[in-house]
Amino acid sequence: MSDTGHTVKSYAEEMQSLNDDLIKMGSLTESQLADAMEAVIKLDKESVDKIVQNDSKINALRAAIDNQITTVLVKRAPMAVDLRITISTMKISHDLERIGDLAKSVAKKVTPLPIDLPDELVNSLRRLGDLVQKQLKDVLDAYLNNSKDKAIEIWRKDEQVDDLTNLAMNEVANYLQKDKKNLEMATHLLFVTKNIERAGDHITNIAESLYYLIEGEYLEGARPKGKPIDS
Amino acid sequence: MELKNSNIKIKSKNLNVYYGNKQALHNINLEINNKEVTALIGPSGCGKSTFIRCINRMNDTIDICRVDGSIEIDGKEVNDKNVDVVTLREKIGMVFQKPNPFPKSIYDNIAYGPTIHGIGEKKDEMDKIVETSLKKAALWDEVKDRLNEPGTGLSGGQQQRLCIARALSVNPEVILMDEPCSALDPIATAKIEELIDDLKKSYTIVIVTHSMAQAVRVSQKTGFFHLGKIIEVDTTEKIFKNPANKMTQDYITGRFG
Ligand SMILES: Nc1ncnc2c1ncn2[C@@H]1O[C@H](COP(=O)(O)OP(=O)(O)OP(=O)(O)O)[C@@H](O)[C@H]1O
Ligand SMILES: [Mg+2]
Repeated sequence: MSDTGHTVKSYAEEMQSLNDDLIKMGSLTESQLADAMEAVIKLDKESVDKIVQNDSKINALRAAIDNQITTVLVKRAPMAVDLRITISTMKISHDLERIGDLAKSVAKKVTPLPIDLPDELVNSLRRLGDLVQKQLKDVLDAYLNNSKDKAIEIWRKDEQVDDLTNLAMNEVANYLQKDKKNLEMATHLLFVTKNIERAGDHITNIAESLYYLIEGEYLEGARPKGKPIDS
Repeated sequence: MELKNSNIKIKSKNLNVYYGNKQALHNINLEINNKEVTALIGPSGCGKSTFIRCINRMNDTIDICRVDGSIEIDGKEVNDKNVDVVTLREKIGMVFQKPNPFPKSIYDNIAYGPTIHGIGEKKDEMDKIVETSLKKAALWDEVKDRLNEPGTGLSGGQQQRLCIARALSVNPEVILMDEPCSALDPIATAKIEELIDDLKKSYTIVIVTHSMAQAVRVSQKTGFFHLGKIIEVDTTEKIFKNPANKMTQDYITGRFG
């Protein structure tokens, strides 16, 4: 949202730089999540280290954004839309960081997994992962386009994430039933599924922050089904 | 927070003010709630001071100034010819940007108003008035041992509280403050703001301020003036978090001019 036009040029620049960093952070998070999902689907153990390392870039950006926001708060005492941009940027950057963490955790689980997972299981994870990635892309686009309608749409769509999560969990249960020796692997897969779902919950949070930024009001009505975020 | 409309203390209707041929206020319609703080904000020259001077008819003292339209306090017309301005100004105290104590003792600064209104003729009555006024203005503890020293010898922040105590000494109902903290440091400002918060339990307060943060801290309702017009009035929370009008937004976020 390049809503500048401040009389004080340096203030406009500070707000612009926040915006730029958040976009950078969004695209890094997007590719981390994509890489993590790819590693799971292809059971590509080689890529895990790189994904784990890249997470620190997201963390560093989050810290930089926090820092800039603290400065803006003391220097400018932002009001109205500036206040909402500042608060929302802070919240969105924290949600992105958490999505990054979850992508990292997903990737780390690839290492112990066997390479001969049943196709149904891999497919159900792929479907869930694709939807969550699409949600992330959409919410970042909505941010760029300042679109509250898109924000609402994404917020509502979290229900589908929950549905696909349940399907994936069922596949994991089937896998376990086939052979009780699969217990350890099934546990890893449950974590993977849960983490992808939680990434989806953070995307819903981002949609809420975006809506607040644009409208100055909180999204009303029932939150889409799904557990509250506990981390 | 919703606006309480049931509780209006001051109401202006189609208020227009002219200095000679130049119109300074255009059709101001504004309601000020009882026992609440209303902040008036807007760029320099937009008419904030002109507006609050209408409330206690201080514009009468400016030769070229002409006021038409209506201002009511408790439903009674302020601009009515029969209104006694001295009584009106007793009911409506005023505090200015620069503290302006009289060149007299602290005690006499407070006693002056009651004396000309014929209150507190007995010494112990007046002592009581001086003490309560200074206490209400949160100044008593700092000056109780030096009541006979000149008011002008106090610090800026203390002088401003002395002026507030002076306004309170005649039992006003409304207190008008025109940038009361602009000459004060942050600590003195904090004291005045705390005092305002306390005074709103008993008085209706209208404050003009150039500090957005101050308006947020002290007021419940905020009115934004621009070029002699009132652009937006709403709860302070609404104005500073999510104003309805683009001009208000531009002003409070520093996107003006
Ligand atoms: N005594 C006066 N004689 C002539 N014009 C005046 C007088 N007082 C105010 N004005 C004019 O009326 C307009 C409103 O002035 P006013 O003092 O009410 O503005 P204000 O909002 O209080 O500004 P500030 O924030 O600078 O105190 C201005 O254009 C000003 O020049
Ligand atoms: Mg003024």
